Amino acid sequence: MRRFYGFFVFAALVLALPLAFPDNYFVTVVGVTIGLHIVLAVSLNLFMGFAGQISLGHAAFFGMGAYTSAILTSRYGIDPWLAMLVALAVVAVIANAIARPVLKLRGHYLAMATLGFGIIVNIVMVQEVDWTGGPDGMSGIPGLSIFGWELDSDLKWYGVVAVVMLASVWISLNIVDSRAGRALRAVHGSEVAAQMMGIDTARAKAQVFVLSALLACFVGSLFAHQQAFVSPDSFNFFFSIELVTMVVLGGLGSTFGAVFGAVVLTLLPELLVVFEDYEVLILGAILMTIMIFLPQGLFVGLVQGARSLLARRRESALVGS
Amino acid sequence: MTLLAVAGLEKSFGGVMAISDLSFEVPQGSVYAVIGPNGAGKTTLFNMLCGIYTPSAGGIEFGGESLVGRQPYEVAALGISRTFQNLQVFFNLTVLENVMVGAHLRSHRGLYRAAVRWPGVMAEERQIGEWAREALAFCGLEKLADRGADSLPYGALKRLEIARALAARPRLLLMDEPAAGLNDTETIEMRELIGRISEAGVTVLLVEHNMGLVMGVSDTVLVLDYGSRLAEGPPKQVQNDPQVIAAYLGGEVEHAEH
Repeated sequence: MRRFYGFFVFAALVLALPLAFPDNYFVTVVGVTIGLHIVLAVSLNLFMGFAGQISLGHAAFFGMGAYTSAILTSRYGIDPWLAMLVALAVVAVIANAIARPVLKLRGHYLAMATLGFGIIVNIVMVQEVDWTGGPDGMSGIPGLSIFGWELDSDLKWYGVVAVVMLASVWISLNIVDSRAGRALRAVHGSEVAAQMMGIDTARAKAQVFVLSALLACFVGSLFAHQQAFVSPDSFNFFFSIELVTMVVLGGLGSTFGAVFGAVVLTLLPELLVVFEDYEVLILGAILMTIMIFLPQGLFVGLVQGARSLLARRRESALVGS
Repeated sequence: MTLLAVAGLEKSFGGVMAISDLSFEVPQGSVYAVIGPNGAGKTTLFNMLCGIYTPSAGGIEFGGESLVGRQPYEVAALGISRTFQNLQVFFNLTVLENVMVGAHLRSHRGLYRAAVRWPGVMAEERQIGEWAREALAFCGLEKLADRGADSLPYGALKRLEIARALAARPRLLLMDEPAAGLNDTETIEMRELIGRISEAGVTVLLVEHNMGLVMGVSDTVLVLDYGSRLAEGPPKQVQNDPQVIAAYLGGEVEHAEH
């Protein structure tokens, strides 16, 4: 239970922010994007951080959710919630189908295969103009309502995304200390030993890959309805890389690391806008500096630093008394 | 009663015979040691027994079931666990968590139930923790339970692998060089630990270079040379086998006797 104190503090913070700053652009508008990014980073961390695999195509599942919802609701007038279920079913089938063959690969080869998958999905989005609207994307995606409660303001969207985001963090925290979560981390530690302990490692990897894809697909659907517009650029290779960067920047294998990474990497570009032409340059420099000095990740590194500082304080207090 | 029966086992790697026409039987409840110089095929044999390699020919039967063609996790499910010569500890987990992974086969709640904290998940979790603490205590590691596995000294890591394997409650424990890299005191402790494992009813098959340990703890010794059997029998008999002495035990036998 101790592990969940952090979660409650985080949840309180997330829910208090819009009450304190209901009209702040960074809270209600950027906040929604941050929330969606957190779910994506947390879901990718299940696969990368826990199971020790790599995916350079995570944005593809995000995009499949978004496009399936967009196409079904705006072209066929299907109920958004039903469309979401269809999207989840489609992604479940596709993720399951590619999981076994792709997850036989390791390291660089796995990176290449997932990269290829992401690119293929993106090409479909660009080329299938009749369905997807091609490179220009699709607009006019209807909004979302929950039992007649229309999500027609930034603040309402913030609330919904916050709940989904907190649920994903809760799920991730539940998994990490469970039998299945330990099995995944064991695969990360030593695949051969994990197998000898009776873990069907191929199945465990496939399962977490699918779960991770389903979470990404779900926020993809939300994203489409929230933006009312989708285009292939939101789901390209660069966004997959950005997601990997979030996970690594915060601290691979730590749920709150992924949260932290998503917050920093979404907020930073917004804040650096004031530097205009130098924005990307400064962002790159900051990321490099962080990874050089805190290779275990920003969040994990800071927590470790704080812990050892406290321990030293306590020791010196004991010596002093 | 025979627990493990190996018959006509062969393994070749691109024309090189690592194991050729090897047959032996491990009785239930015994400590069975496989010795032989480096390259004799001991580790290859181990890897075939636990499903990492597939034999080129021959059969392996465990408790009446054939092991040939089974994946390591399926072999584990039948009741075989092992330790590794080059440590395969989960260094990213704590000591307790390592052993909890060992209890994987004795529990069954999956990923999706864990994700939503399905009723029963937490109770099973506590049960797994208990089993793991028992296994840790058996190996004398209970005080280190909450340490990161990466902070343990070598000798403790060796015992950690044993605790992890025992948490699966195996019928057969394969130990790949349990005393390698240990000092004299630790080797004596290891010998005592293997004795207690055997007393607990677990059949032990070990590969080892330390003749003191082998001769002290085993019921039967199998001597391998160039992938085939050179001698088999009780330690005393093998020790005095002129063929074995001539081949490679030599001075080691005397060392074992004091």
